[in-house]
Amino acid sequence: MRRASLRPMLRSPLIIVTSIVLIWFTVTFLVFPNANLLVSTFFPDGQFSGSAVQRLFSSDRAMNSLWHSFLLAGTLAVTVNVVGIFIVLVTKYFDLRGSRVLWLGYATTLIYGGIVLAAGYNFIYGRYGFVTNAVRNVFPEVDPNWFSGYFAVVVVMTLATTTNHMLFLGSAIAKIDYQTIEAAKNMGASTWTILWRIVLPALRPMIFAVTVLTFLIGLGALTAPLVLGGTDFQTIAPMILTFSRTTSSRDIAALLAIILGLATIILLAIMNRVEKSGVYFSVAKVATPLTKQKIRNPIAKVIVTIAAWVLFVVYVLPVLLIVLFSFLDSTAILTGTITWADFTLSNYATVFGSASVMRPFIVSLVYSALASVIVVGGLLFVARIFQKYPNPLTSLLEYLLHIPWILPTILIALALVMTFDQPNPLIGGQVLTGTTLLLLVAYIIVKIPFTLRLLKAGFASIPDSLEDAARILGAKSLFTFRKVLFPLVLPTAAAITALNFNSLLDDYDAAVFLYQPLYEPLGIAIKASTEGENNLDSMSITFVYTVLLMIIMGLAMYLVYGRSASPRKRRRGGVTPPTAAASGASTGVSAPLVSPLASTSVDAGPGARGSEEPTPAGRT
Amino acid sequence: MRSASIAAVVIGSLALTSCSGAKESTEGEAGGGSSDTLIVYTNSNSDGRGEWVTAQAAEAGMTIEIVGLGGADLANRIVAEKNNPVGDVVFGLNNMFFETLKAEEAITAYEPEWAAEVDTASGDPDDGAFWPIVEQAIVTVYDTNKVSESDAPDELSDLWEDDQYQGRYEVNTALGQATPQLVLAGLLSENLDEDGDLGVDDDGWEAVEEYYANGSPAIEGTDLYARFSRDEVDYGVIPSSGIASRDEEYGTVTGVISPDEGVPYVTEQIAMIAGTGNETGAQEFIDWFGSAEVQGAFAQEFSAYPVNETARAEAPAEVVELIDSLPKQDIDYGFVRENIAGWVEKTELEYLP
Repeated sequence: MRRASLRPMLRSPLIIVTSIVLIWFTVTFLVFPNANLLVSTFFPDGQFSGSAVQRLFSSDRAMNSLWHSFLLAGTLAVTVNVVGIFIVLVTKYFDLRGSRVLWLGYATTLIYGGIVLAAGYNFIYGRYGFVTNAVRNVFPEVDPNWFSGYFAVVVVMTLATTTNHMLFLGSAIAKIDYQTIEAAKNMGASTWTILWRIVLPALRPMIFAVTVLTFLIGLGALTAPLVLGGTDFQTIAPMILTFSRTTSSRDIAALLAIILGLATIILLAIMNRVEKSGVYFSVAKVATPLTKQKIRNPIAKVIVTIAAWVLFVVYVLPVLLIVLFSFLDSTAILTGTITWADFTLSNYATVFGSASVMRPFIVSLVYSALASVIVVGGLLFVARIFQKYPNPLTSLLEYLLHIPWILPTILIALALVMTFDQPNPLIGGQVLTGTTLLLLVAYIIVKIPFTLRLLKAGFASIPDSLEDAARILGAKSLFTFRKVLFPLVLPTAAAITALNFNSLLDDYDAAVFLYQPLYEPLGIAIKASTEGENNLDSMSITFVYTVLLMIIMGLAMYLVYGRSASPRKRRRGGVTPPTAAASGASTGVSAPLVSPLASTSVDAGPGARGSEEPTPAGRT
Repeated sequence: MRSASIAAVVIGSLALTSCSGAKESTEGEAGGGSSDTLIVYTNSNSDGRGEWVTAQAAEAGMTIEIVGLGGADLANRIVAEKNNPVGDVVFGLNNMFFETLKAEEAITAYEPEWAAEVDTASGDPDDGAFWPIVEQAIVTVYDTNKVSESDAPDELSDLWEDDQYQGRYEVNTALGQATPQLVLAGLLSENLDEDGDLGVDDDGWEAVEEYYANGSPAIEGTDLYARFSRDEVDYGVIPSSGIASRDEEYGTVTGVISPDEGVPYVTEQIAMIAGTGNETGAQEFIDWFGSAEVQGAFAQEFSAYPVNETARAEAPAEVVELIDSLPKQDIDYGFVRENIAGWVEKTELEYLP
């Protein structure tokens, strides 16, 4: 039922109105401001200046960093798959004791990320980390700097980004056609053969999708290389951030962002093609629930069990440490010698003691909730139109809506301030700079690509037959949307809302230029309380905020996922519903996320966000 | 019908959203400077300074709201907003940032009541667009418990020229921040040459290259003094105001390298934002905050070194003693302001490790 023409769209007044609103929004808030900024960047005096290209390409350091970003992306595409598929199998496919506990352990990366995650690993394995110390007590010849550079960055980011596998792959594996597995077993296939010949091929579309996603996260890696990369392995994202902040260097930042953006666009185009071309029968048509498989070879079982629990410890240690550190005196953390006397509540006292600590929390809660509800609500219908009417207009709009993936948030924010600082006819002659509305607009904008990809995939997974049936029974199209389609994508929509909410909570990059002085958001407050020349407790205070954020994010995920998904998911009594919320240890640049492919699960929780968490190091 | 009720909730919240969005925006307009609340932009709000200023101002009968952001971000924001300013007053940024604000016409001249009490040379002697309040030295320090004074270098260039210091001094590579920029400005200002690249001769760029190549890059999230105590590095750069609290925290006794050419000084300034809707309020705040009384109290509270000569008597003795002992490096901040972006870019692209 795909028509590559505009005409079918024009039959419905509702679609026409939606399209007009969408075109207005895209032009006003995405195209116009950013075009404005890019023109003033690349045409400083009305004359095109290509010197950025020359300046950039003559710099060995920039070229190295760029190469590192692509190298990291490529490596992660392999390593994350290995670890990610393993943890999905041991929690969702194989029958291991304590798989629920394992799942919770692996899920810890959902609720924290950025600088804190990287710092957490550094405190364990870094030069002064306790594992390093313990090993060196036994083997003094071990290099204390063993955990740094390319290797360390890959390890940390691999662990941090398996989030996507847990969410996408975890829910895809639950929908595998179990009868095929039964049949194979009856024919005498071994555990390994079934896994290799049936399970993994069935998951292939989803594995491909998360691989692309991982690649994009690798491209935008920011904090892990900063903390652990050392001088040998720096990536391009920090350079983009520095250059975005200086007017005269902004062209280099934009150029770099465009290079990464092109890679994103190419992957996106591939994704779109695959989405259109393939129909994957990975989803069971007959609802025989998957039964967890026993590993029959005892040696293999022991090995898998040990590996699973070792991995569990690796995942959980940093989180425990962060909670522990939030109760520690900062000198003890930094110097690495901890005694009982160092335990203190003073970090919490500092955070809760400042007069207005609750206000930023509330401001951010309101902003994040509004933005995430609006963006999902607004795009629900849009995503449906895009998915149902692929034609030149919709695909152009779709690509335009991905602009926020290409440009760094800082540039988007600056473009908004400078465009709406005078009465603008596109918005009825209003001025937005200095109002509370502008930050909301920015939050909505930056969440559009992520939301759109996932909603579209959600709609794509609904068989056309459902809609046809409704039409044959005489339902009008709006009624069909409301009563048939909407309930089916609701789990996806709810999950996206929660993910967006979590990722906006501690935003700094957009807020810094856009927040209205009377409504200070959390990211700014965290930053203010963790920087300062005399502030030696910055790391501890960051930990306190992280613990508080973990609690809020955990709650948000529980509210959304715990309620909407649990009745179906709990059927085997052991497996918790997949919470979501990702936390890339990465990126302030193009926060990348690509959808699961068509015809994969409806309620696949999405994942991955790029967040540049407020860092304790001062930016004064 | 569960799905219907969820749909109702979503639609309901959407409706609520549009209402509250509209409401917020009308409230927001009030923040544009015309209301009674004075919006004060600063990068000097950490360590309780923001709260202190707000409380003191309230006692003096002014309602202020502090917007505290990092230096570069704050300057960017003020410039971006200049057609429709949100803030009324800005203080705490250093002269380099204020030169930028002045060049962008984002601030406007106002001669405060205390103008006669400060050395105009530290501010903007030509146009009086901004006025000095607090002075800081950017110093290279070490822990005298570990490094004896005789082992410490006399000149900064010893750090990268002498092998014994190789890798033992911290270099901050976060060039978006003010302090690393000043270090760079200090290095290059000794080697200015009109014909050189970006106004600097080859020796200057060589010094920069060697400085970064032989240093130990700062570690994000790890304080310099924590690295001292782990014996990772022996030397590093901090603003003078940070010394006292660190000595207390880490039990160090800080020694300061005092090179012949002097050390870079930065002066934090105050100015009225151009186009503020609340000129009277802004001027009242500037007159109050820069006054000898308030600056004296501020200096006492936060170990600052006030430019206001009357207020200086109130500053802690060790602060005054340290600052007075360090000669000022002769840096042409007007020139630096014009070139620092290019310098930072070149360093970032070519010289950072």
